[in-house]
Amino acid sequence: MDTPSGSHPRPAERGVVISRGTRVYLRTMTPQDLDHLSTWVDDPFLERMVGSEFMHAYKHVWDKAPAFYEAILTDPTQVALVVEAYQGWTKPVGVVRLFNIHLLEGYAFLETIIADLRAMKRGFGIEAGKLISYYGVDVLGLRRLEAKVYEYNVLSMNSLRRNGFRQEGILRQAGFDGERYWDLMIFGILRDEIEAVRRRDKVYLPLDPSEGNGREPT
Amino acid sequence: MNAVTMGRQDRQTPEAGEALEGLARLRLSGLLTAGTAPQLRALVRDAVERGRARVVVDLQGVTGLDAAGIAALLEARRMLQAQTGGTLVLRANRIVCRALRTSRTIAAFALSPGTGM
Repeated sequence: MDTPSGSHPRPAERGVVISRGTRVYLRTMTPQDLDHLSTWVDDPFLERMVGSEFMHAYKHVWDKAPAFYEAILTDPTQVALVVEAYQGWTKPVGVVRLFNIHLLEGYAFLETIIADLRAMKRGFGIEAGKLISYYGVDVLGLRRLEAKVYEYNVLSMNSLRRNGFRQEGILRQAGFDGERYWDLMIFGILRDEIEAVRRRDKVYLPLDPSEGNGREPT
Repeated sequence: MNAVTMGRQDRQTPEAGEALEGLARLRLSGLLTAGTAPQLRALVRDAVERGRARVVVDLQGVTGLDAAGIAALLEARRMLQAQTGGTLVLRANRIVCRALRTSRTIAAFALSPGTGM
């Protein structure tokens, strides 16, 4: 006979905290997050800077339908987490996700979206990218992460470099912003390099017992 | 819904002529995602620590899983394979099979007969 366990807490309505840094923490998405996403996808600045397929799909493929939440939550090729800042912020500041995840081959792609303009240049994106990179290595068992950036998005390129990513190449005129073609810069990082960043920065904080990280804090 | 319900069933005595010592059965229902996968990891870790080298995970009641859920299953497989004679068998439904195919991990798992392919 099965014995349903009552000892495990149900995930909170505010989502389950997956990882904590010193400035931000990452949590799972909730249906209410679609309200924020709905605003973010209409921001032309974000669209130009990030060119996110995630945001494009929500707006243009799903037409902002609530079912997008379930589709993201149960997508076996990605993990999308909401970025929350600790102090003075009443709303999420963005989304960070690993997508096109190849678990057996050990690689995935990284996308970091800091959507609140007031939250930019505060190190939130750097730390969110760092935390999900650790999650990719520790929990998903990944050994390589990759990211693409438009050539004019200097802020994102600097964030990736701060997190130990190296530029590996250029996709010439692979991006189009509605007016002209732009180069896409390819960045990559390997597990050993992520570990080197972790040893250098030590931003990982232990979670409370009720929180949902699969990794034992070290 | 953003939860997974888990149950445990240990068999330490022979049943129907089959030696089942060291077998642990885990039954999951609901979502197996980033928010709930740590519970599966803990249950498998517990089973291994209690000397259960063979684990059957019943996923018939799972309504969805993401990359973190599949990663937890892969880690369970690795943990058990590190044991002498350790094995992990999944009893999956159509949703789980589709997710394993989409993530191209289905060949990594032993699926029990009757699995909803």
